[in-house]
Amino acid sequence: MAFICIAALFQASCSRPVSPSASVAIEHEISPEPIRVGSATLSLKLSDAGGEPITGAQIAIETDMSHAGMSPGFADAREVEAGRYKSPLEFQMAGDWVILLHITLPGGMKLERQIDVRGVQPK
Amino acid sequence: MRVPGLGHLFRWRYARPLLQAPLFVISLVMILHGLLGPSLAPKNLATTLSWLHFRGVLVLVLLCAGNFFCLACPFMLVRQAARRFFKPRFNWPRALRNKWLSVGLFVLILFTYELFDLWSSPWWTAWLIVAYFLCVLVVDGFFKHASFCKYVCPIGQFNFVASTLSPFEVKVREQDVCTRCHTKDCIRGRREPVSDLVTIRGCELALFQPSKVGNMDCTFCLDCVHACPHDNIGILSRLPASELMVDPIRSGIGYFSRRKDLAALVIVFTFGALLNAFGMASPVYAVETWLGRMLHVSHEAPVLGLIFTFFLMAEPVLLLGLAAWLTRVWTRSPRALLPLAVRYTYGLVPLGFGMWLAHYCFHFLTGLYTLIPVTQNAIASLGRPLLGEPRWTLTGLPANVVQVIEIGFLVLGFAGSLVVIHGLAADDSPERPLRAFLPWAAVCLILWCASLWLMFQPMEMRVMLMSG
Repeated sequence: MAFICIAALFQASCSRPVSPSASVAIEHEISPEPIRVGSATLSLKLSDAGGEPITGAQIAIETDMSHAGMSPGFADAREVEAGRYKSPLEFQMAGDWVILLHITLPGGMKLERQIDVRGVQPK
Repeated sequence: MRVPGLGHLFRWRYARPLLQAPLFVISLVMILHGLLGPSLAPKNLATTLSWLHFRGVLVLVLLCAGNFFCLACPFMLVRQAARRFFKPRFNWPRALRNKWLSVGLFVLILFTYELFDLWSSPWWTAWLIVAYFLCVLVVDGFFKHASFCKYVCPIGQFNFVASTLSPFEVKVREQDVCTRCHTKDCIRGRREPVSDLVTIRGCELALFQPSKVGNMDCTFCLDCVHACPHDNIGILSRLPASELMVDPIRSGIGYFSRRKDLAALVIVFTFGALLNAFGMASPVYAVETWLGRMLHVSHEAPVLGLIFTFFLMAEPVLLLGLAAWLTRVWTRSPRALLPLAVRYTYGLVPLGFGMWLAHYCFHFLTGLYTLIPVTQNAIASLGRPLLGEPRWTLTGLPANVVQVIEIGFLVLGFAGSLVVIHGLAADDSPERPLRAFLPWAAVCLILWCASLWLMFQPMEMRVMLMSG
């Protein structure tokens, strides 16, 4: 019974409303290629459903390894031109990484996006 | 057992369920969070608790105390509850009354861990725990006694081997008391005088206390402690690894030197320790890529299979075979190579355990505090951040500090193996102990150098590289 109750709680808390991200297109690029251990740069391009660039968004970047035990890295992306944002990244170890984008749009709408970075190579 | 409070607790009949209950609840939370929580391993309790904290605490408790995880095993709590409704009817098949099945399962777990990157998948980790519970229920639902613990459980086998180095052991206080005892409740169980019904269980792993030697196969379940009518069994201190240096007949086990299956378990334990660490170090990239190119395969399984075959079969056969041959030639021993190799293989246990300690403690200590934000996040996801917002910057001890501890464990393991092998050589070949000692010391030195080299490799996660 306890198992079912806790499961129901987790299930309820993990159910999210339909994401508004469908109306926002996010393109990303990480340089330099191939991605190696050390510093890199994440470039993002945000545009709305009509293809117009989204300016003034707040984008918090979180980088995690795919396994437990590592501290995530945090950074804020800055807008370099209309709808284009850049953020420094630091890959501390070779392997698979995940980049989480916590985006707050100018209207206050929040959305999250996950970018999988497979196989960061050793230096 | 003489320690105030602690002794009283362990003598209490319900001590085991009391210790099992918290771990059972944690297991349930891990399963639920693994299946329903965040899919990202660093944010999930299933992966964080399994692959960082459980493994680290397990090896440290084994080193500092004994096989207390088996005592508090949550799987046995479920089994015990199930046995109230389903009484097992069968005895474990005679052909399987050895460690071969569990050795195979131990290898299988190491293999699937690497192949499916279990450390990075909360979902698979949760299902692994569920599978473990189901397996316990099926095996011990059909078969009497503690068949799962003794013949199946890979975690249990790991604990049995490692606990040969523990400073505590469940054993009798005074042999004289056992000699005078006629009821033998420690093995038969305490019974009602008239109905002969068992009221307190005796040892389910067939370890008869008066002739039990060491911790092998002992789950610290305390059944014998509770069953003994003379309060003559306790958790007593002893010299770690001393049981590896002698070869008496052991209750429920026989002679170590005649148990090829146990020696195979020790080989998997020792060489598997290096293999498990190698799987996360930088050179494995190059080896896998090279093998993949040679075999013209892009899937990881055959490549990993070859690496496992080399590390767990070819390398031990070569090293231990050569050492056994040299021992036979130098000591002019009439014994065959296999019994010689089996005899000395037990000397590798400290070295292997040193490597497991170094590896698991690296993850545990460098990620020590990550449990805090992951727990905060799990509670916050329920709707109320009772423990505050997750502090994701909390990690653990600096890697350079942990590396010193790792080297300490490796040195301790190496020294322990040399001491055990010296003891075995002195016992086995009293006229030429040095000649018997040297080949095995050389094997230890080779493995120890390999361990040190591995520890200084940058850690990497090999995930998806083959197919990427």
